[in-house]
Amino acid sequence: MSAIDEVTRELARLPGVGPRTATRLVYHLLRGSTADARRLARAIELLVERVHPCARCGAFTEEELCAVCRDPERDRSLICVVESAFDVRSIEGTREFRGLYHVLGGHLSPLDGIGPEELSIGPLLERVQGGAGRVAEVILATNPSVEGEATAVYLEGTLRPMGVRVTRLARGVPVGSDLEYVDGSTLAEALAGRRDM
Amino acid sequence: MHLARLRLQGFRNLADVRLELPPEGIALVGPNAQGKTNLLEAIHYLELFRSFRGVRDAELVRFGEAFFRVEGVVRGATGGGEERTLAAAWQREGARKRVTLDGVEPERLADAVGHLGAVLFTPADLALVNDGPHERRRFLDIVLSLNEPGYLGALQRYRRVLGQRNAALREGGAAAIAAWDEPLVREGARVFASRRAWIAGVGEAFASLHAEISGGEPAELVYLPALPTDARPDDAETFDESLRSALRSSVDQERRMQTTVVGPHRDEFRMRVPNGGRLRDVRSYGSGGQRRSVALALRLLEARTLEEQRGRAPILLMDDVFAELDEARSERVLELLERTAVGQVILTAPRASDIRLRGDRLPRWSIRDGVIQMGEWGP
Ligand SMILES: [Zn+2]
Repeated sequence: MSAIDEVTRELARLPGVGPRTATRLVYHLLRGSTADARRLARAIELLVERVHPCARCGAFTEEELCAVCRDPERDRSLICVVESAFDVRSIEGTREFRGLYHVLGGHLSPLDGIGPEELSIGPLLERVQGGAGRVAEVILATNPSVEGEATAVYLEGTLRPMGVRVTRLARGVPVGSDLEYVDGSTLAEALAGRRDM
Repeated sequence: MHLARLRLQGFRNLADVRLELPPEGIALVGPNAQGKTNLLEAIHYLELFRSFRGVRDAELVRFGEAFFRVEGVVRGATGGGEERTLAAAWQREGARKRVTLDGVEPERLADAVGHLGAVLFTPADLALVNDGPHERRRFLDIVLSLNEPGYLGALQRYRRVLGQRNAALREGGAAAIAAWDEPLVREGARVFASRRAWIAGVGEAFASLHAEISGGEPAELVYLPALPTDARPDDAETFDESLRSALRSSVDQERRMQTTVVGPHRDEFRMRVPNGGRLRDVRSYGSGGQRRSVALALRLLEARTLEEQRGRAPILLMDDVFAELDEARSERVLELLERTAVGQVILTAPRASDIRLRGDRLPRWSIRDGVIQMGEWGP
């Protein structure tokens, strides 16, 4: 396979990029300066070398712990559970949430072989249990899809016996949509209007 | 509203053609196996974007062709004289389907269905009566998806939850299974309630349509939601409660069978007609004539629902419907159609003498070996 074909194929695998856009991007890179293309290649390399999940919450970071987990000003009695690290970014974007996060790494989907063991649920329970009673509330901010909802139901059943308050984002978020497509103000309202499950 | 123009390329045995269709419709005459049903299939494709015969798109492409394309221009879709263009194409390479509304590809296929506003009558409709509950659920789902906003979305979500829950029943622990109950209850109750409301709402119309076709026989539609008999709610609002408790009480059976045993995916509705002095299930007790009357009444009901919902007469696509009806029933159906069907009618028949609709005023077209001609074929 030629280098042009190889890069085109890799780009076309990205979300929202079809084969035509991928081809256009490749020719754009070839037409532009070599230094620009090298800088892009190096930046992508650094991205995958340096960035990894936070040892505590699973959000992306270049340190051992992410900026949120390191910040002494954050409210440690509050944990917001999300499906993906991208959701952390969306909620941080609202500037409304002052607690910590926990990234599950997906949602329950038995059809795809994803049960509770395949998600970061054990570490979440450890954080709640091992927090010496400091965690007062867990907000379940899984996607409003049927899979996200089932995941929230499962977590609620598991967390409630630990004596922690469990809440769910208010239904301002349209059913079947992903958090990443929800605009900031809708998300902020959903957070403010969260309810006990 | 009527189909004003139709363009066909590469569709089954039909020759590539551009047709101008009159607002009152046409009667297409031709011996069997010339392509009459294929034409109705092509037109109906613009309603659901899949074949009403249940075949894969690949089978619709003419032998040796790379793709098929069907394009229709509907006039008066919003009451006035404005036109709307519906098009669908499918190509063998990559098995790609492209559907457009006025040249624009809708975000979801679900947004494109139902814009033609057509109801199809075929001899195969007898399956609605004779076959298992699956056929009748499919009928309900299509009618409701086309006529009730939000139904298709709820149904699709229900099917997804059901698939997830059944997978959890095969693999998961109790908590991992129970997690799917609430989503299942919410979407399932919605589907139950819509089906029940529709069946209750059309009960009288069904009885009167059936009486007209059969020459005065009573008939009734009965909805049998897949819930334990003692748990069927009287009130549509409480379907969620009923489904929730039915799920609870069938836990053991579900674990054993590894599948969800209650819920709208197992629904049934029955049509009852007179037999031995009382109303009985037509599927078990109906005569041949009763079965045909009931199947026709269901399609006419579909047409009526569409008309009430959109405020416009639907396009009736009728595939050789009188062939298997006895003389008296045919006569009464013709009368009924003369009186009630004010929209476009596209009907097919093997012989010109079979067509008496609209006092013979429907323009006669003919078809031979996939070639459609205005007027009858010469000697
Ligand atoms: Zn962290």
